Amino acid sequence: MINPLLYFVLFLKASLFSSGGFSNLPSLHQDLLGAHWAVDAEFGEALAIGQISPGPNGLWVISLGYLTYGVAGALLALIAIVLPALLVLAVAAIYARIARWDWVSGLMRGISLAVVGLMLTVFWTIMHQQSTDWTGWLIAAAAFGLAASRCVNIVVILALAGAAGYVLYR
Amino acid sequence: MKRRGSAGMAWALLRVWGAIGLQSFGGGASTVLLIQRTFVERRAWITAEEMNRFWGLCLLTPGINLVALTVLIGRRLGGARGVAASLAGLLLPSVAITCLLTAGFKLVQHSAVVHAVLRGVIPATAGIMGLVALNMAWPIVKTARREGARALAISLALMLCATLALSALRLPVAVVLIGMAALAVFVLP
Repeated sequence: MINPLLYFVLFLKASLFSSGGFSNLPSLHQDLLGAHWAVDAEFGEALAIGQISPGPNGLWVISLGYLTYGVAGALLALIAIVLPALLVLAVAAIYARIARWDWVSGLMRGISLAVVGLMLTVFWTIMHQQSTDWTGWLIAAAAFGLAASRCVNIVVILALAGAAGYVLYR
Repeated sequence: MKRRGSAGMAWALLRVWGAIGLQSFGGGASTVLLIQRTFVERRAWITAEEMNRFWGLCLLTPGINLVALTVLIGRRLGGARGVAASLAGLLLPSVAITCLLTAGFKLVQHSAVVHAVLRGVIPATAGIMGLVALNMAWPIVKTARREGARALAISLALMLCATLALSALRLPVAVVLIGMAALAVFVLP
């Protein structure tokens, strides 16, 4: 039997001590498996769905919540990811206080540069998570070009990529 | 930006974020791209520099960066109501679709067709992520170019260092962020 309060606390803890959408995985994996409230396969499935469904990849925990505890699980997981995000208001308030100091602008520039590196790393990780051959690179390049052209809706781009996958890899 | 009443703005935010929450199939990459396009390009409610600064603050916050970004943009444009409207707009449709996909996935997860389609979709999300990176790099490069060749060279070198530190050396994100921030204080104006 799942204890809803403890279940919520486990999700909240994982989210509070994570940074980015996937880093709450180890904590949840350990806790939910330990309590016998989830099985290993549910994690893989939830991660895959987080990557296709709309919204942040971090919504994979919604899928995990749904798989392990139905609609109630999804709702508890949702509250658990929204609450820590509100802490950004405190971070922004601190930033507003120190923004006038000279070194802070340099600091934020450094972080912005690292953010670009982070995005490029995500690109690299996605391309390498499965055996991607030249056809995969071609699809990535085409999606980049179509998105950059601004004339094609993202949903259409992904549908075209899915159709290409169907033709190429079936 | 035209000033509207806060209730009017909250409704506008709910609609705009709702459209993002419904259309951003492909996870975080699509979501960030739609946010950049909607708030920076199409409506010009937020500048590209401001968006980068917001994103930097989100990285310093625990949890999902995109949800924190939604909070910051909502607050900037519509105060407390704006935060609530933005979160509801982004999350209600995307969470509902995530649950539906989860329920449906069980039925089709072993189908070869689904695997083939996904193998096509995943590199496309990578391509979209590449465009997001370019959109974020653009204002930084523009500022650095205005400051001269030295600042431009240093900025590009730091970007490359951060990418290599994360992808080749697999250093933790927090370490790279702090390291880059500290380096930039000394080497950039």
